[in-house]
Amino acid sequence: MTIYSLYIYDRHCTCVYYQDWHRTRRPKPAVEGGILPAVSQEPFDPNPTSASSYTSPRNTLLSSSGVVVAMNDAISQQTASPLLKAPPSATTIASTGLSFDEEAKLVYGVVLSLRNIIKKLSGRDENFVNYRTSAYKLHLFETFSGYKFVMLSDPSTDSLRLVLRQIYVGPFLEYVVRNPLVNMDSKVTGIDNEYFRASLDRMVRGLSVFS
Amino acid sequence: MAIFGLWVINKAGGLVYQRNFADGLAQLTSNEYLVLAGTLHGIHAITSRLSPIPGSSSGAQVIEGETFKMTILLTATGTKFVLLTSIAEPSADGTLQKVYDAYADAVMKNPFHTPEMPIRSDGFEQRITALIGDGRTS
Repeated sequence: MTIYSLYIYDRHCTCVYYQDWHRTRRPKPAVEGGILPAVSQEPFDPNPTSASSYTSPRNTLLSSSGVVVAMNDAISQQTASPLLKAPPSATTIASTGLSFDEEAKLVYGVVLSLRNIIKKLSGRDENFVNYRTSAYKLHLFETFSGYKFVMLSDPSTDSLRLVLRQIYVGPFLEYVVRNPLVNMDSKVTGIDNEYFRASLDRMVRGLSVFS
Repeated sequence: MAIFGLWVINKAGGLVYQRNFADGLAQLTSNEYLVLAGTLHGIHAITSRLSPIPGSSSGAQVIEGETFKMTILLTATGTKFVLLTSIAEPSADGTLQKVYDAYADAVMKNPFHTPEMPIRSDGFEQRITALIGDGRTS
């Protein structure tokens, strides 16, 4: 059992945060302008072993782009706690063949369509909770403010809705909503910052389903 | 526990069979069911591409809401059987297999049936009635 990735979308349908853990099949880097700055901290090198000097356009925070979200700059990247570093993976990283921005849109599209199907079929204000394929399980938690928390996990995991709610009630409220430096609902930047990422990471790694 | 409905979706995403059993979900028009089936067909294709691990993934097999779930059986020929049941219904997979059996016997072996077209077969209706009845399970 394990956790693969987490996407957070705001009410404007844009991906404002992304993090992954045991993911062994990665999307390609997003195209220029395909994704907001401050969404993910990882450089997203499709071939992590090569000493490539290529930096992903996703990593605009590291350049002097003028967008400073909660002190998330190059220095904090280097001195970030070891928890933030991607775990060394023995398996090679495969590619999904999609770029990250396309993948984020597909995930959002699936979640939104399923949510509408469930609402229509039930005839009530019923929420879509999760779906399962042979390879993974996708969980959704939606807040009243329209934020959608989407988590991908192992197919045998039980519902992670409560975990997603905990992420919202804990790290999200504390380090994003109550953080004056995070420009929420801006449509120009994501919500990534060091405290949120570290707190979230600690929480997810502490889960019994994370191994 | 209950079985709410059964859909058969052909390989092009068209709804060729739809029947309601137990009450509990909204009553929709046949047009609305057609739209939902088409959407589900598209989503099913996308879900198999979103796998975070190497190797091929199936499309969505079970989709859960808060009070009901949709169990999807994709056959080798691309036909999808979708069963709408309550969340705790344990017999969904088994029922779908039996529905597939009934489909093979009463629809595919029927010389008057046109493939990929809506299913109008008394034999299939009877087999489904015998299998699911009014949708109340235990």
